[in-house]
Amino acid sequence: MVVDTCRKEIMSMERRNKLEIRNISKVFLTKKSYEIAIEDVSLDVKENEFLVLLGPGECGKTVLLNIIAGLMKQTEGSVYIDGEVSQGINKNIGFVFQKLGIMPWLTVRDNVALSDKFHKVSKKERYERTQKYIDLVGLNGFEKHYPRQLSGGMKQRVGIARAYASNPEILLMDEPFGQLDAQTRYSMQEEILKIWNQNKKTVIFVTNNIEEAVYLGDRIILFSARPMKVKGIYDLKDLKRPRDYTDYEFLRIREEISNHTDLVIK
Amino acid sequence: MKNNIKKFSTREIILNILPLVSIILFIFMWILASGEGKIIPAPADVIERGERLLEKPINNITLAGHIWASMKRVLSGLALACIFGIPFGLLIGWNKRCCDFLKPIFELIRPVPALAWIPLMTLWFGIGESSKIALIFIGTLMPVVVNTYSGVRLIPRLNIDVARAFGATEFQIVKEIVLPCSLSAIMAGVKTAMGTAWIVVLAAEMISANSGLGFMIIRGSDVADLSLVILAMIIIGVIGAVLSWLLTLAERKLCPWKEEIN
Repeated sequence: MVVDTCRKEIMSMERRNKLEIRNISKVFLTKKSYEIAIEDVSLDVKENEFLVLLGPGECGKTVLLNIIAGLMKQTEGSVYIDGEVSQGINKNIGFVFQKLGIMPWLTVRDNVALSDKFHKVSKKERYERTQKYIDLVGLNGFEKHYPRQLSGGMKQRVGIARAYASNPEILLMDEPFGQLDAQTRYSMQEEILKIWNQNKKTVIFVTNNIEEAVYLGDRIILFSARPMKVKGIYDLKDLKRPRDYTDYEFLRIREEISNHTDLVIK
Repeated sequence: MKNNIKKFSTREIILNILPLVSIILFIFMWILASGEGKIIPAPADVIERGERLLEKPINNITLAGHIWASMKRVLSGLALACIFGIPFGLLIGWNKRCCDFLKPIFELIRPVPALAWIPLMTLWFGIGESSKIALIFIGTLMPVVVNTYSGVRLIPRLNIDVARAFGATEFQIVKEIVLPCSLSAIMAGVKTAMGTAWIVVLAAEMISANSGLGFMIIRGSDVADLSLVILAMIIIGVIGAVLSWLLTLAERKLCPWKEEIN
């Protein structure tokens, strides 16, 4: 109790940490052996920060996000949101899933309004409320379309609008652009920054793409794989936005990170 | 160029009437196979028998009455099977404990053909309507439950995770995610069950009934009236096809998001 109070006071003295991850470990048990997926990861995320988690594929980033969202239980460690221990599903967290998870039997607006539906908001009200987010991601005119009628990029927008519409304080994005073609990927990166600028949230963005990380992040946390450990932290606050892929400083940071990683071609 | 278009459209026309061609061909072969002194009545005989049936009902029940009698049994048995089978399938598909507890019993009962229940059903429900409906219920329950169950088991884990992450309760997950996700599997089960229902109703009516299409067949057999038998068979075929078509329409209405291979 005393420790908690002290923690809160210390926090209010520093710049506010929205999310704190303390000594998280995750071990997967199989029948005969075990695998350490995450080993003792701690990190802080500041309010309205755009934090990028960068690491090689399959290194456990998704597991970490699932733990933060409460979809998976950590073996050790704690997650604090606004200084309080977070357990189970937290309604202040919105999730953009890597493999989308758009419901094929729901129209675009019903998909976006999913969270409202679960929280028993009336149909009329939830359509009114979510229209804003459909407009925000540029899907107006497609409200009554089914997902199969949309392109990959548009489906991804549905996923983003849905996460935004659940009105979270923290937005978790798990490699949201991983399955898009390069062209769409660039435009979605711009788009996501535009949305974030209009509607500031604390964002944790997972990617395995260094360029994408440098383009988007206020800060980049670099992980190593198996077990997942923090390998380096890069502060990009000074890199002016909007960023340019061919800018000298951009390339320098990219080089620096890539020299320090063990990103491998799978 | 103009020629080309015309050629193409003739081909189109033939392709479009293929179903009609197949039926006409079938009737033609039937006419060839039937005739004087043969054991297959000609189509004309069957039609004539149908006309006679309209004027002179069997057992004081008109043709429509017999059709309706069978139909009523099939539909009530099937409806009951859906009412109980779909929730049961959802339950054992979704809840592991329920599955562990209930599935073994179900797996033991499942292989027993519905017709094996006839003596018990007759004993419990008599020889009236209720025993026939109960029999159809048992016969159709199995495909409905099995399909619902496997539909639920095949739901992508991601969809459930998404619902959880957005704050769904357990009940909401079942109602809003599990049910729509497994709907097409359930519909496939209902279609299979419809076929089973007709098998069971015919058998039940042939054993003890004084109405229905099965009764018509057994009466035709008793008095060596093969035209009547074939008439009943054709009616069963047509009704079966129409019902299955209606179910497909219903599925399209219920699952407008589904893409069909065509």
